[in-house]
Amino acid sequence: MKRPQLEREPHTLAGAYAMDAISAEDRARFERHLARCAECAQEITSLREATARLATATAQTPPPGLKERVMAAAATTRQRFPVTADVPARSARVKDARIRTRAWFGSLAWRGRLVVAAGAVATVAVLGAAVVAGISNGTMRQQLSQAQASSQQVAAVLTARDATMMMRTVGGGGTVTIVMSHTMHALVFTAAGLHALPASRAYELWLIGSAGDRPVGMFPQASNHMVGPVIASGLRSGDRLALTVEPAGGTSRPTSPMMLDLVL
Amino acid sequence: MDSASPGGRTPKPQKPPGSPRFWGDAIPPDPAGNPLSDLGAQLGLVARGDTAAFDAVYEQIASSVFGVVKRVIRDPAQSEEVTQDVLLDIWQDASKFDAERGSAVAWVMTLAHRRAVDRVRSVQKEAERERRVATADIPYDEVAEAVESSLERERVWRCLASLTELQRESVTLAYYGGYTYGQVAGLLGVPTGTIKTRMRDALIRLRDCLGVAS
Repeated sequence: MKRPQLEREPHTLAGAYAMDAISAEDRARFERHLARCAECAQEITSLREATARLATATAQTPPPGLKERVMAAAATTRQRFPVTADVPARSARVKDARIRTRAWFGSLAWRGRLVVAAGAVATVAVLGAAVVAGISNGTMRQQLSQAQASSQQVAAVLTARDATMMMRTVGGGGTVTIVMSHTMHALVFTAAGLHALPASRAYELWLIGSAGDRPVGMFPQASNHMVGPVIASGLRSGDRLALTVEPAGGTSRPTSPMMLDLVL
Repeated sequence: MDSASPGGRTPKPQKPPGSPRFWGDAIPPDPAGNPLSDLGAQLGLVARGDTAAFDAVYEQIASSVFGVVKRVIRDPAQSEEVTQDVLLDIWQDASKFDAERGSAVAWVMTLAHRRAVDRVRSVQKEAERERRVATADIPYDEVAEAVESSLERERVWRCLASLTELQRESVTLAYYGGYTYGQVAGLLGVPTGTIKTRMRDALIRLRDCLGVAS
């Protein structure tokens, strides 16, 4: 009822839309139309390649000092979660475990998907428990089996109001994804594609901060498949998360170079 | 000043002091080495918090972002402010870039242009923009000035010149002037339906002329 004009001839607004020559209300309506019209979306995509050239043709040197300000601002600004409308399509597309991990956690921002994500994570948590079964550090083994006994705890971190996701590539290959919640003093850790290690060595995860270096868990042998999710509790503000390669028996302090050193 | 590596575009992974990486620290560079596809790859790294990649992205697009923002906004101080916002948006929202929905340059420029237009319109609510009547001729002239020696710019200029006058005015007023199609119709004394059609026809012709159809 609000959009008779658009329903009748939506395509005629494509040019105006691609140039932002459109009121906020028309823009919103046209975008609803785009969501249903693949052909229109494709046309907009191609027209924007043209408008982009109109933009690059105006290039001029930015004022001095801008770069320093931008880089400084970026250094102190959190990145936003990926959103959202394309998550189902993307999930259907992805093939390998690594990307699937990202898709799950990417859906974090979309609360409606969380039930799905939490359910999937819970399933993997059971597998995760098996992977970590070879853990040697007594305290940590206890802590981990506790954590994994309750996959609800994983889901609770993922759905926490202040849940924050970070992803990093690891030197030598692999990706780690964590979701942390400071209100719950916990984080969920997963890794994919980590380099395989000889039997005598294992990956060890650490929390490092004013409370000292705290081992969180060990992963005896990483295949190319996903590791985790594993819960690390006792998270304090200012902690960093580190990953090292240690003797398979585990150590109480990191003894090798950190492959990952993430400020939380 | 420029600390980029020779040859420029290979994103260098971050290496915080005191935390040497294991197994070598090189992330494989984009084999294509094409600046534009490279921009997309670098946005992927930026999405994971890679500040070195963000530095490289800045080098590639800051001048275009500033250029288009300033073309629309005019005021240098506001333009700088909006440019900074846009670049920070890119840092924060790099994960939203989806190569299946167009090139990285188009994504960045869409963001920049929309931000500039939004700023102009919010300011416009408080005070009418200056030189409203005279504006009709200005943007195209300025595009002509901008031609300089760049072949790429010359190509854009030639393609603009190949449009009909009404098409060209619609595009320059809308894109560089930041006007809505309704305002453009009013300025040119043409029905809105005609303007909408001309805008779309014009962009299709520009796209084909520039050879950027995707």
